[in-house]
Amino acid sequence: MPKWFTPAALVCGAMFAVSPLIIANAPYESTMGLVQKVFYYHMPSAWMFLLGALVCGFASARYLATRNDRQDRTALAAAELTVLFGLLTLVTGPLWARRAWGTWWVWDPRVTSSLVGWLIACAYLILRKYGGPGSERLAAAVAIFGMANVPFIYISVNYWRTIHPATSVVPTLPVSMGAPLWFCVMTFLLLFIVLMTMRVRLEESKSRLDALHLALDE
Amino acid sequence: MTTPTLAASVWQIVRKDWTVEARSREIAYTTLFFAVSCLLVFAFAIVREGKAPEGAGEGILWATLTFAGTLALGRTFERERQAETLRALLLAPVPRAAVYLGKLVGIVSLLLTVELILAPLVSLLFAAPLLSRPIWLLAILLTGTLGFAAVGTLFAAMLVRARSRDVLLPVLLYPVVVPVLIAGVRGTSALTDPEFDAAIARFWLALLLAFDAVFLTLALWTFELVMAE
Amino acid sequence: MSIVRMLLISALLAAPAAIAAAQQPTQQDEFVPISELPPTEQLPAAPLLVGAYVFVLVALFLYVVSIARRVGAVRQEVDRLEGELKARSRS
Repeated sequence: MPKWFTPAALVCGAMFAVSPLIIANAPYESTMGLVQKVFYYHMPSAWMFLLGALVCGFASARYLATRNDRQDRTALAAAELTVLFGLLTLVTGPLWARRAWGTWWVWDPRVTSSLVGWLIACAYLILRKYGGPGSERLAAAVAIFGMANVPFIYISVNYWRTIHPATSVVPTLPVSMGAPLWFCVMTFLLLFIVLMTMRVRLEESKSRLDALHLALDE
Repeated sequence: MTTPTLAASVWQIVRKDWTVEARSREIAYTTLFFAVSCLLVFAFAIVREGKAPEGAGEGILWATLTFAGTLALGRTFERERQAETLRALLLAPVPRAAVYLGKLVGIVSLLLTVELILAPLVSLLFAAPLLSRPIWLLAILLTGTLGFAAVGTLFAAMLVRARSRDVLLPVLLYPVVVPVLIAGVRGTSALTDPEFDAAIARFWLALLLAFDAVFLTLALWTFELVMAE
Repeated sequence: MSIVRMLLISALLAAPAAIAAAQQPTQQDEFVPISELPPTEQLPAAPLLVGAYVFVLVALFLYVVSIARRVGAVRQEVDRLEGELKARSRS
């Protein structure tokens, strides 16, 4: 593990520990009340979900172009994180929505697009796990297709229900909420980096294991 | 000997598939009858008091096409796998893109044939005026099928040697073709509207065309890279 | 080293925070009613809020544990195989 890893992990843990206190002291949002505070974990999760998807897409493209295994490992790690943070987003969202909108789920553009994107990431992992040997390249293609699909998914879902798209349900934030939000975003970002590093390391160890198996078989 | 042109190679591959299919008509018939049995399932799932709900027809049509199309894709490549002809095709002095395009044309022609029978059937069984604007319907079916098949052919080809390939194809394909599904259903729905608004139909058609252009290009590029052994 | 130790540290750090989070919201519950929803529709916010945070922390914790477990398993296998390889090269 690189030298910065342990301090980074500890800082991250500390930031997580502190975050509920910071959030609890953040100003109240009058229209939605207490439950709006889910937002401080929900939005950073959503951003990490998107970041993971982007990293996976770009790493997959580079893997297909260069056949560099390191890119493939990065893509796999990023896909796992995409599924993880996507799950966090898709669970915290409805918990917030139930209180704020009175319903667990709405088929609105942003929510639906996120669900479809999350399913593509899950499909990637299922393929890597059960596709057998040689599925790395197909998976890379799936990741690239998924990324290319984002505008299409968004547009089609946007106009799906009515030709007149609904305006966003998320209200704009007052500035005083900015600080706690950015703190949480930094926390999640640091966590993303820490988890990526761990996960890529795991894949590297697995490759070494495979090489050892091959060496022993000779 | 010079490498044949792309168009010539594509035509060769398409002709081969059509000849093989014409002899047994296996994939065509089985796909068609599967589609009809899907309609049956939908009928019992959705029809209430002898009537289908308003606007169910287009949804049923596209859902059935998705399922039948997935099967057709799997079966087409299963045939290649068993005869080990895919490898032979890739080793042949034929541009790689031709293999993909040849397969694509084959699948699209098969699915269009099924659609030409299915659309009137859905129209009849579910009291949906799908055929009221046939040219528009044909345009939407063609572009939608092309989009579905563009992605499906690539994924099916790459899954040929994978484990669990039968279930992996829909798992991978469906989320990626969501825009096609949405545009297909909403576009077809616009056609059945008594107050037909051409602008809406044009919008969905344009979206389908854009999807086709982008993903056909992407598939061609990826096919080259992935199949290069 | 490492993963296990890190986990323990994170858990120790997170524990007081989780307790703090559980306590704080209840004090502010009496405030600001949500004007848009009718009173019959209103659910107590605190369980949803706490549930969301707990879910996030538990999910992240489980993921870290899963990585740690896999790393341990792979390391064991690697050590075993390296031992075999060494033994074989000696003989």
